[in-house]
Amino acid sequence: MATNTERTEFLKGTLDMLILKIVALGPSHGYAISQRIQRISRDFFQIPQGSLYPALHRLEERGWLEAEWRDTETGREAKFYKLTKKGWKQLDAEILGWKQTAEAVSLILRTVE
Amino acid sequence: MRWFRRLFRKEAVEKQLDAELCFHIEQQISDYIAEGMNPGEARRRAQAEFGGVERVKEECRDVRWETHADNFLRDVRYAVRTLWRSRAFAAAAMVTLALGIGASTAIFSAIDNVLLDPFPYKDSRHIVTIAIRDTDQNEQDRRNQFSFPELQTFVRQNRVFDSIVANAEDDILYTTGDSTFRFGGDYVTPNTFEFFGVAPLLGRSLEPTDYKPGAPPVFVMRYVSWINQFGGDPSTIGKSYMLNGTPRTMVGVMPLRFAWGGADLWMPRNPVEPDTVSSDHFQRDWYWGAVGRLKPGVSIPQAEADLGVIAQQLATVHPEEYPKHFTVKVETLADAVVGSRFRDTLFILFAAVALLLLIGCGNVANLLLARSATREKEFAVRTALGAGRWRLVRQLLAESLVLAIGGSLLGALIAWGGIHALAAQIPAFTIASESVIRMNGLVLVFALLVGMSTTLIFGLAPALQVGRRDLSDALRDCVKGPGGRSVRTGVHHAVIVCEVAFSLTILIAAGMFMRSFVALTQVKLGLRPDHVLAARIPLSPDRYKTASQVAGFFQPLLARLKSMPGVAYATETSAIPPYGGIRSAVQVSGKVHTENWPSIFQLCSEDYFSVLRIQLMQGRTFTESEVNDARKLAVINQTFQSQYLGTGNPIGARIHLDELNKFPDAVTDPWFEVIGVVADAKNHGLQDPVVPEAWLPYTVTGSAGRGILVRTVNDPAMMVNAVRREIWRTDHNVAMAFAETLENFLNIFSYGQPRFGLLLVSIFAVIGLILVATGVYSVIAYATARRTHEIGIRMALGAASGDVQKLVVRTGLRLVAAGIAVGLLASLGLSRIIAKELWGVSPYDPLTLAAVPALLLFVALLACWIPARRAAGVDPLVALRHE
Repeated sequence: MATNTERTEFLKGTLDMLILKIVALGPSHGYAISQRIQRISRDFFQIPQGSLYPALHRLEERGWLEAEWRDTETGREAKFYKLTKKGWKQLDAEILGWKQTAEAVSLILRTVE
Repeated sequence: MRWFRRLFRKEAVEKQLDAELCFHIEQQISDYIAEGMNPGEARRRAQAEFGGVERVKEECRDVRWETHADNFLRDVRYAVRTLWRSRAFAAAAMVTLALGIGASTAIFSAIDNVLLDPFPYKDSRHIVTIAIRDTDQNEQDRRNQFSFPELQTFVRQNRVFDSIVANAEDDILYTTGDSTFRFGGDYVTPNTFEFFGVAPLLGRSLEPTDYKPGAPPVFVMRYVSWINQFGGDPSTIGKSYMLNGTPRTMVGVMPLRFAWGGADLWMPRNPVEPDTVSSDHFQRDWYWGAVGRLKPGVSIPQAEADLGVIAQQLATVHPEEYPKHFTVKVETLADAVVGSRFRDTLFILFAAVALLLLIGCGNVANLLLARSATREKEFAVRTALGAGRWRLVRQLLAESLVLAIGGSLLGALIAWGGIHALAAQIPAFTIASESVIRMNGLVLVFALLVGMSTTLIFGLAPALQVGRRDLSDALRDCVKGPGGRSVRTGVHHAVIVCEVAFSLTILIAAGMFMRSFVALTQVKLGLRPDHVLAARIPLSPDRYKTASQVAGFFQPLLARLKSMPGVAYATETSAIPPYGGIRSAVQVSGKVHTENWPSIFQLCSEDYFSVLRIQLMQGRTFTESEVNDARKLAVINQTFQSQYLGTGNPIGARIHLDELNKFPDAVTDPWFEVIGVVADAKNHGLQDPVVPEAWLPYTVTGSAGRGILVRTVNDPAMMVNAVRREIWRTDHNVAMAFAETLENFLNIFSYGQPRFGLLLVSIFAVIGLILVATGVYSVIAYATARRTHEIGIRMALGAASGDVQKLVVRTGLRLVAAGIAVGLLASLGLSRIIAKELWGVSPYDPLTLAAVPALLLFVALLACWIPARRAAGVDPLVALRHE
């Protein structure tokens, strides 16, 4: 089992993709995104907040996400992120890239000498 | 634009960021509470998990562009404040940069417009002029006009040209109502407009059908002349005008820069038809100027060789039309128009200005390095306090950028003003009519790039040093001990020596030009050009053929002019003095000589010598009745007398002017009796010695060009319209052309070019002086700043402030002296080139050679004195506490 630090390192490269994927499921705020990633990955990934928010702001700056302030179910105002058209394209591209990489890696791992 | 608005809604953005993060923590807390944690514990845990809120915020801000813009603006504001604190430095750097950029752009633009690409014509680099050059005479002696059969021979037999077109100049008298105006007209051969490939601005240009026999007469106008004469009225196109007595239709106007042959209008002419216009006019056979377009790959020497063979054959058939020894001279349009002398001047400028830009940049670099050296400690301290290197670089970048942009803006302004000044001052007839002097954008961009990159590169030097140097080292020895001298100091000093040398060379040239110009303005003319109005009067060759026809116009005109209020004297003339007359070989009765005796003569009336105030030395001048009776009498100048008549009494001598025989309206047996001798007056330009000259009554022939000279009581320029009215009252089909005061003629033809040269060199000289002043100042100020400690010790040990000043000044003057020595050597080396441009002063003029170094020394002293005073004011306690 990988240590926490190792996982965080691994996360860095894929964080953008994970965020885009989560947001693609429906507009959500920062807290919800971090909770979902944690839950869906069955606690494998614990996103440090120090990375999540700068990443969100970076994605927004690039035009992949757009933000909107609205009320949550509990009636509090929160910043909701949702995917833009460019964001969708980026997500597709990243998923494709990921699949190719994963395939290539698993091919190598499966090779028997 | 949301992102743009964000820049101005910083607070709102901050609040949102705050709210977003708070929301996250609070959600986490409420989740923990829901899991059963007590509120205090939940809050503690949530906050611990989140980490440093401020750090997260900082990272969020960092990804947003407006943060960077904001930082940059802050840097710039700080830079402006910093620079304002050292105003002298900032001003020196910006002015130096601006002068380098401005002057070089202005001069480069002018050179490009005048020399490199003056013509708007298609493929103009391959258009060449053709001339026959007499190799026994000087370079300028050439014939560039050809009879049509001669031209046809060249066209048919050459193998080097794609095509040849020709133009023939003529005075075109345009009559409208009771007025007549003169245009410079050019007859042009078929395909001329296709040859030059310039589309008309309005209407059409000349087409093949215009050249067919019996085609309706048409013409095309030059833009400037169209504006002047017709006020730019488009409805003039398609209308018909009386030109030389024939109605002609204006079919088009060419764009501004099309000015082929310098003509006002162009008319089609197919020289195959019998030449009716030239049939009755003197020398009209030598009529056509020709230009050809070289075939691809043909060089100028090849063309000269090819045409040379044809010309040699022609010379054997028509020996009278060719000099004994000659070559065919083929020149590109630009070379032919600008001429080699003016081109040399511009190329010297070119070199000087490139050097100027270089030295300007070197100066800026020097200033920046000097400043950076004095700031080493500041940067070391800031680095020690935790400023990142990138932070320092950004701040220096901002400072350099402020300097570079300030200097560049000022430089662009100087370039713009300079080009306008140049265009206004450039002497007439030295550049092609086609060239329009205006800013060359590329050149400006180049100069700006050079200037800005210098500033940025050298501005960043201290930041690079901070990276390289050991911090504690810099902090410790920020004040150099005595004798601290680095390689960099050597570079500073070399730049100063070069600057002084360059500046001295230019200043000496300027001094020489100044002396030369003064000498020119002090030339004794022998005539009084003030209060004289001069004009050419082109008479229509159809109606004014014989002597009596010409006299029939001038006799009443002169009578009218003389009776005008404000007119003292009026005379007919055949040339505008002091620029020559009609050239003729001369014979003197009773003297035998084999060699050619050259002279010039004027056709004039009785008031000629009174109008010009030429002094009578012996005998008398003409009376009115002698002129009206066309008596064969002559007045000669002293040079004529001394060269051809010897020591005997000149009155009564008989002289023969050969040329009069050859006039269309020939004077048979042109022997003239000398009745008087007048004092020498300049008659071959201002710079050449007086040549033998004779004056004859204008009534002896109907040929030759004519004009008038009028001496007025008040400003002659005010009389132009009144004189023109009298001309039209005498014959409304006669025009007054080139009406100008005699003083203006002198300004245009004699003083214009030297004054222009003087102006240019003076500008350089002033810029050079400023560069020297800022250069010396920056280096000495830098050296002094680095020696504050040493000076402090000296003063603590009892040196008086006077001693300290001497110490500083001595350092500066050593450099200046070295520069002056180098500059004097360079000046001596250049003196031969400069000598060509000088007149009436030796290139080793001792006054200039002494005065200029003295001036330079004075300026350098001043530049040293400011830092020297500052050094003398050093408080030893403060200086030593630095340690």
